[in-house]
Amino acid sequence: MEIKIRGLRKRFYSEGKVINALDGVDLDIEANKIFTLLGPSGCGKTTLLRCIVGLETPDEGEIQIGDTIVWSKEKGIYVPTEKRQLGMVFQTYAIWPHMNVFNNVAYPLQNMKLPKAEIAKRVAKTLKFVQLEGYEGRPSTRLSGGQQQRVALARALVAEPKVILFDEPLSNLDAKLREETRKELKTFLGELGITAVYVTHDRVEALALSDMIGVMNRGNIVELGTPKKIYFDADHQFVADFIGRANLVPAAIVAQQEASTIVQTALGQIKCHRRTFAADDELVLCLRPEFIEVEKIEGSDVNHLEGVIRQMIFVGEVYETEVDVAGQRIMVKLDPTTPYNEGDRVTLSVKAEHCLLVSK
Amino acid sequence: MNLKKTMLVLALVLVISGMVFAAGKTETVAEAPTKKVSLYANITAIEPILEYYNKSTGSEVEYTRLSTARYVSTILTEVEAKKLTADVVQGPLPILEILREQGVLANYKAKAAEGYPEWAKKDGIYLFGIEYVGLIYNTDLVKPEEAPKRYQDLADPKWKGHIVMADPATHATTISWLVGLKENVFSSEAEWRAFLKGLAANEPMFVASFGPTPAPLASGEKKIGISMPKYIVTHAPAPLDYAKISPMLGSPRAIALTKGAPNPRGAEQFLEFWLGADAAGRLANDVGEYVLAPGVYPPIAGISETEVIPIRELSDEELQKWGAEFDKIFSLK
Amino acid sequence: MERRNRNLTYSLIVVVSLLTVAPVLMLIIGSFSNNLNSFGNFTVKKYVTVYTDPMLASILGNTALFVLGSAAFATVLALFLAYLNNRTDIPFKFLFKVLSVMPMMIPHVLFGVSWALLLNPSNGILNMWLQKLFMLPKAPFNIYTLPGMIVVEGLLDLPVAYLIISPAMGAFDASLEESSRVFKSGPIKTLFRITLPILRPAIMAAFILCVVRGLASFSVPSVLGMPGRIYVLSTFIYRVVTMSLIADYGKAAAIGMSILVISVGLIYVYRYFTRSSDKFVTVSSRGFKPTVVELRKAKIPLFIVLLIISFVLIVLPVLVLLYTSLIPYVMVPGRQAFSAMSLQNWRVVIKDPISLRSLNNSLFLGLAGATLGAFLSILVAYVIVKVKSKASGFLESISFLSFSFPGIVIGIGFMWYFVRTPLYATIWALFFGYVATYLPYGIRPMTSAFVQIHSSLEESSLVCGASFATTMRRIVIPLLVPGIVSSWVLLASMFFRELSISVVLSRPGTEVLAVQILRFSEDGQWGRLSALGLIMIAISTIMVATVNAIGSRFKPGEVREKRTKVAAQRLVAIG
Repeated sequence: MEIKIRGLRKRFYSEGKVINALDGVDLDIEANKIFTLLGPSGCGKTTLLRCIVGLETPDEGEIQIGDTIVWSKEKGIYVPTEKRQLGMVFQTYAIWPHMNVFNNVAYPLQNMKLPKAEIAKRVAKTLKFVQLEGYEGRPSTRLSGGQQQRVALARALVAEPKVILFDEPLSNLDAKLREETRKELKTFLGELGITAVYVTHDRVEALALSDMIGVMNRGNIVELGTPKKIYFDADHQFVADFIGRANLVPAAIVAQQEASTIVQTALGQIKCHRRTFAADDELVLCLRPEFIEVEKIEGSDVNHLEGVIRQMIFVGEVYETEVDVAGQRIMVKLDPTTPYNEGDRVTLSVKAEHCLLVSK
Repeated sequence: MNLKKTMLVLALVLVISGMVFAAGKTETVAEAPTKKVSLYANITAIEPILEYYNKSTGSEVEYTRLSTARYVSTILTEVEAKKLTADVVQGPLPILEILREQGVLANYKAKAAEGYPEWAKKDGIYLFGIEYVGLIYNTDLVKPEEAPKRYQDLADPKWKGHIVMADPATHATTISWLVGLKENVFSSEAEWRAFLKGLAANEPMFVASFGPTPAPLASGEKKIGISMPKYIVTHAPAPLDYAKISPMLGSPRAIALTKGAPNPRGAEQFLEFWLGADAAGRLANDVGEYVLAPGVYPPIAGISETEVIPIRELSDEELQKWGAEFDKIFSLK
Repeated sequence: MERRNRNLTYSLIVVVSLLTVAPVLMLIIGSFSNNLNSFGNFTVKKYVTVYTDPMLASILGNTALFVLGSAAFATVLALFLAYLNNRTDIPFKFLFKVLSVMPMMIPHVLFGVSWALLLNPSNGILNMWLQKLFMLPKAPFNIYTLPGMIVVEGLLDLPVAYLIISPAMGAFDASLEESSRVFKSGPIKTLFRITLPILRPAIMAAFILCVVRGLASFSVPSVLGMPGRIYVLSTFIYRVVTMSLIADYGKAAAIGMSILVISVGLIYVYRYFTRSSDKFVTVSSRGFKPTVVELRKAKIPLFIVLLIISFVLIVLPVLVLLYTSLIPYVMVPGRQAFSAMSLQNWRVVIKDPISLRSLNNSLFLGLAGATLGAFLSILVAYVIVKVKSKASGFLESISFLSFSFPGIVIGIGFMWYFVRTPLYATIWALFFGYVATYLPYGIRPMTSAFVQIHSSLEESSLVCGASFATTMRRIVIPLLVPGIVSSWVLLASMFFRELSISVVLSRPGTEVLAVQILRFSEDGQWGRLSALGLIMIAISTIMVATVNAIGSRFKPGEVREKRTKVAAQRLVAIG
């Protein structure tokens, strides 16, 4: 089921100040895809999710889920949360402490007034799906973090909703468990083929899980696209910066060529992936460390930068290395087995297609 | 370690309190013992009389008010712990008789009681008044000519739903009073029982004791009640009057001195004052009490012509028996 | 840690026993003695006499209805108000603060009398108005009935229930409810399947405290029950005591024993149902997002309900008191009454040296007593909640001992006890008697507060090298401030109007307000009584308001921190 959001606004009042949590959001979420709302704390992503599920009432706009308008200021429609037929996994999991696993998971079905046998069957099926077979009678207070997360997932899935919402569901797990669960989640959602809306501030999670990512900032969707599009080909500095490590250098266009754009920066003239901008746009050059080679590679589309290694930090799979290029610090990655040392002069090579120009 | 600290604080609080108390105690002991007279009493509203006494004699009467229900218990507890501070005790006659049996009372011959009737003097216990009970009515709602002329009139159906009285199943004085009617007023038990039946049929509202009876009468919630005429004085200007029926009955009020009183001289002096015409007059005038001092009457019209007689106090067994009996008669539900 | 907790538990058992077990022990001895005082030869005669009373069956029936009814009424109303205050966008929230403490300060006798004045079937003011308004053949209400008693007692117990339920409701993790909404439960169903079950410890605590209070309550059954001849255990005790000129408190204690057994039983029931308090930890370091339920169309009607409750609970009794204080005797309001109004009663009360002295004493007892009581309560509540052992269960039970006894009886217990100590006939007898008897008022809100604090918060402090005392002072107590304020307020306002114990232990020089009020009532001086009652209400209002203000300003730095924290949480919620 797709979700359509039009002109959604939500204001909060805090100590006399108005915070525009949602500032006129328009958004289409495709059916049966995993859609992620990504953004820093306070960007409005959770508010947007809570508006979709009905826990927060917008001030203006319209929300449509499938063919049903669930909220509209103009038409005066408000479908209460419990009638929206959604599933949700909360950040805190919100596992009810006074119920065992079975009752937690069976709750949505009990509310649908299904026969007991049917409920038992479906709960068992769902628990099997999330690999919690045999945990029915376990008090929910005796569950580990990962198990709680799965119970929450099972509860969200058991009624086979058309849309399932996730509010930073992995943020309470430790790093290793988070990685595992992320993979599992990807598999689960892939198998189910339902619309999922996922809120997170973790870019890796977003990139790994999503079919589509919406990056939010200050109550607005800044950019929308596939993980690759967002990662390689972001239009905005904010997005480029937020989605991965990036060296950002102010730039000004010197010339437009057929396949590339030439810009002047503090690093010198750089040949970039071709993009057009409005005349008064302030531009920033974005160089991702993983695309900077620390050796001289010949080629017409390769930019060369001369610099001195200032700092090398060993983090396991690579050395995170800072290179001073014309007074600018450029972050690059070196192999753990690299022969270079701090103080060495190096030549950096970046292909034009990896030099991304974004507007400020 | 810090637990110790916490407990230390608690202990300290207890010790300090003890010390402060001790200080307070020495203070009270040091206070001129010759001046202070400690009076345990169940009679109420006597503060103005005590104040007058304090002013005119320079004494200090310390008035500890004990309700009848706590009277014996409190005094015997204190006696047992050798902490009885009372010099003078005032209460219903049977209670003082119990105290005398327990050896708490002194046998003092009061000069002021010389004019009293002989039955009012009982070996150191003096009856000084009667807690007289009567039919009190609201003068706004009941004209004097409509008021009962005899006790039987209260059984008249015209009073149905308009009567207030203390619960005859539980209120000892009311039980004694009703039994007193049988023994002193009605000519036969059958006649008395017919009266009770009629009274019960009028569905009186029951309250715990006499104390709460005047309020519903003054406010007009009820028209008439079995109550105490002294409220006409203490609740003035409330529209209350009493039905002039003779005789009126009541429990005798008694007073006596304690044996080994801390201040025997002061106690005697106070008792002489209390039984004298001056105090009796004030008791009658300010509190509306019916006193036994000859020729002194409360300021209630017609009371001097009415015969007021003390009723026999019932034993516990009798109270239980009659209470249960009245409970049956009065429970219509 | 373990050993320290054990030591603390046993020390507290000793302290609390000295306060509560001793007087009860005296009563137990007294109930088996053939003497009028506590000591005498052994006999079971007193038990046989009272427990073979033919009225006992109907009295027990009435008592059950009265106590359960009023406790249920108070708890449900408290839940309703706590929910409105903590979880909805109802306007004028300060009303709740007033509502929750005001009835604590109105002496119960006065409250009962006010209602008799308003709703008696003969000329109750409200009854007469309603009768006229709807042209009814007779008065629509009769306050002298079991339902009347239940409602009035329920209203009086409301603050106790509210002060226990409200903090728990306020600290509730809202996502537990939100998830229920998402999973197809409406707000009502969510309330019954999620919110109430999770709040069960607080609700049960409130209900049981109300039951215990109802069992011991004397004012309402005597003022409203006796006129309708509806007897409950406490009035039965009164009856046993007064039916004989030589009151035998041993018999009263014998009846009291069954109330004691019921109360102690209830506490074990409560412990059984809440035995794993872990289950109900709803606040952790994660912090809580206060989400507010929008009432929409229900806002105005619910607000009107709130106004009516406030009116009934506060305005009406105070108005009745004010009116009564101005008239010379009890009159139905009307031209005659208004023309008779004067300040005479006020003049008398203000000049009365005993009234002034009792005001002084009550203030001291209220302030000092509540402070000691709250301090003791913190320690006891800590042991009850955090040290789960047989001994802590025992401590909880004994803390309820004196409280569970009907007031008239426990007062005698204290008299028999204190007369053997130097405390007798001093203000300290009242002081310790109050603290001992009303300890549960201090402990209950504190345990609710403790239950809400996850042990990881303290544990992390201990890990940081803080001592037990430092942890208490820096971590636990600041988090407990709302609970401490609740306890203190409950205790102080209780002590300020305490009657049951005072009436037995108060002596010339140690008079207290309630006893002075009782004197006025025995003399039928309703006007003076109302004037003094109003003074009393005014002073305790000021006292409580001050403490609430201090409580909310406790550690200004912390408050600022909290504010930014809330703002931060807001942002997190948005993000």
